[in-house]
Amino acid sequence: MEFVNLQGIRLDGRRPKELRQLCAEIGVVSKADGSAAFEMGNTRVIAAVFGPRAVQNRSQKIANRALVRCEYSMAKFSTGDRVRRPKGDRRSMEISLVIRQTMEACIMTQLMPNSQIDICLQVLQADGGTRSACINAATLALADAGIPMCDIVVSCSAGYLNTTPLLDLNYIEDSGGGPDVTVGILAKMNKVTLLQMDNKLPFDTFEKVMQLAIDGCEAISKYIREVLLENTKQLEYRRGL
Amino acid sequence: MSVELSFGEKNFIQGGIEQNLRADGRQRLDFRPMPIETGVIPQATGSARIRLGSTDVIVSVKAELGRPNSHHPGKGKVVIYVDCSSTVGPSFQGKKGEELSSELSTALQKCLLGGSGIDLSSLILVEGKLCWDLYIDGLILSSDGNLLDALGAAVKAALSNSLIPKVNILPDLAADEEPEVDIIDEEYTQIDTSSLPVIITLTKVGKQYIVDATLEEESQMSSAVSISLNRNGQICGLIKRGGAGLNPSVILDMISVAKHVSIRYIATLDSEISTAEASSAS
Amino acid sequence: MSSSLSTYAPKKLQRRFENKEKEWIRSDNRGFLQCRPAFLKTGSGNAASGSAFAEFGSTKVIVSIFGPRESKKAMMYSDIGRLNCSVSLTTFATPVRSKAMMGFEQNEKDLSSMLYKALEGVIKLDTFPKTTVDVFALVLQSGGSDLSVIISCASLALADAGIQMYDLLTSVSVARVGNNLIIDPTNEEENEQDGNLTIAYMPSRNEVSQVTLTGEWSTGKINQAMEISVAACFKLGDVLRNILRESE
Repeated sequence: MEFVNLQGIRLDGRRPKELRQLCAEIGVVSKADGSAAFEMGNTRVIAAVFGPRAVQNRSQKIANRALVRCEYSMAKFSTGDRVRRPKGDRRSMEISLVIRQTMEACIMTQLMPNSQIDICLQVLQADGGTRSACINAATLALADAGIPMCDIVVSCSAGYLNTTPLLDLNYIEDSGGGPDVTVGILAKMNKVTLLQMDNKLPFDTFEKVMQLAIDGCEAISKYIREVLLENTKQLEYRRGL
Repeated sequence: MSVELSFGEKNFIQGGIEQNLRADGRQRLDFRPMPIETGVIPQATGSARIRLGSTDVIVSVKAELGRPNSHHPGKGKVVIYVDCSSTVGPSFQGKKGEELSSELSTALQKCLLGGSGIDLSSLILVEGKLCWDLYIDGLILSSDGNLLDALGAAVKAALSNSLIPKVNILPDLAADEEPEVDIIDEEYTQIDTSSLPVIITLTKVGKQYIVDATLEEESQMSSAVSISLNRNGQICGLIKRGGAGLNPSVILDMISVAKHVSIRYIATLDSEISTAEASSAS
Repeated sequence: MSSSLSTYAPKKLQRRFENKEKEWIRSDNRGFLQCRPAFLKTGSGNAASGSAFAEFGSTKVIVSIFGPRESKKAMMYSDIGRLNCSVSLTTFATPVRSKAMMGFEQNEKDLSSMLYKALEGVIKLDTFPKTTVDVFALVLQSGGSDLSVIISCASLALADAGIQMYDLLTSVSVARVGNNLIIDPTNEEENEQDGNLTIAYMPSRNEVSQVTLTGEWSTGKINQAMEISVAACFKLGDVLRNILRESE
């Protein structure tokens, strides 16, 4: 299958190094302590954060830091074909775990001993890159909830198809069978907190693809920063400052 | 859904309802404003999102080709399933939300599919062989009470948003052969939702009943009766929740109140749906 | 077999309801407002703290009550008692092997939650804090109006177990076929019905603890159906009370 045509245009009309359109909104779930919706093209996710609060299950209590829990679930109508997945199937468990570890790396858990933070992620539309979109949404929701973080985590994926590195794969490209690298970085500290890849890639190509994903992350982090800044301005305005 | 209210708050809610002035300024039989968005899920046949205060639900309709049930060869199938997202609250993580999900799914099925709300025979393509199956999936994103009414309204909006593609059935079909079809993408038919009932839940707090209760008000209820009514004022389903018993005459009185409220409610819902359709079309 | 022991078996329904408006004869020669012959018995003498058997026509149900016994350790402290209801159908309960039927598990779940909702307002839960009462209902044969038989039988079993209740709960279902209301419908009649009203009613308190209604109804018909079922519940209440009195 031809993922990039001779003019260097991808199936959805993007250039290889182009991100999909980003759209973020803060405060979409009013009952949650912090929430955000994040769109990357046709992928749309909602994140809600509850906490920090007392640990529900006493056996899970950690004396010197906060317990972070994460749940990822996909809506039944999120994919093209309607598949009924029970809550907590293997794929969601794996993604929940990945997101939890990534978020834990940036939350300053040591400041909130004996407490618990819940991150709930709901995929409304899945068109590739749900993992990255969830991480970005979770970052925004955590910031909205006012949970101390050492930096913002952003994530982006990149792939290698038709001997071209491609940024931010959509579903068709994702299922094209090529290698797919998902990177999560701490934007300001310039540290990688998440790196996943399936399939194989030669060393030098991997570096190229990885660099592309990191560039994508940086673009996203710029956008997220803008959204947060705008949100803070709105809050200030509402308070009459 | 745990709501912890102090003694004063409880008194305030109960006293307000007694005096026909609720905590958010509404009267007992007033609904909250109900903004509807349609076509929110592009990959579905039809979809709608409804917000009632902080209650936020999405319903999508997906039409798929299927085989009619052997007991009802002349009827299509409609399945309603409601899912409760963990974003409602941490208490709905994992399997804990399933109890609420299945309760709401059953209630919706009883209230909306019981009567002649959806004309199942209009979904049939080849009798006994091919029909449209409508999968109606609800997702609760946030809950501030009155989920059933919101879901019922969202199902109605999503169905009126649904466009079912026209189908060409290839003729000369032997009796035992599978029919071959060819979906025409440009031509659509709409589902007739005019006779689809609406659900109105009357929540009994003290001696009075209120419509569209918030989560705080629901925590003070003794019992609640959900009544589904169609345009002709016929009752299409009735479900009771909550432990306390009700005098039979109270139930009959609730039905007449619901009937009275439904006229205004159906009109509001219709106009909201047509506004949403107009704005999603443009 | 002696005639007193012969069990009741309905003949197959001969005619379909071609004209629902006209009067017809019910498959078991009952009148429209006549319940099926019922047989109820408490205490089948097993390990349960209370039990009852109910047979309404071909619907046969056993309910056993266990407890009040200590709630599971994992449960949080609760100053009122817990009620746990579970309804199961035997594989031979229906003409088609029921496990193979679509929605079989869902049906069991629905029945269980309906039973719970009917009973929760009737039992004095505050009389047994920190403990759980289990209500296990087993449908041996499903012959129509299953839910109402289960509810009535469960309340008899609860009384047998000595669990405090506000009143004996009785339940009756009424089906609307065309313009006619028939009480206590059988399976065949339930398949033909245009609407159904099932209520669980406490006769001495004059309160409805649970009600469900399906199908399209006019208000007048609901009034009528409600009256019919309340009257039948009164009678059933007397029957239940007599059985309890005799069993002692």
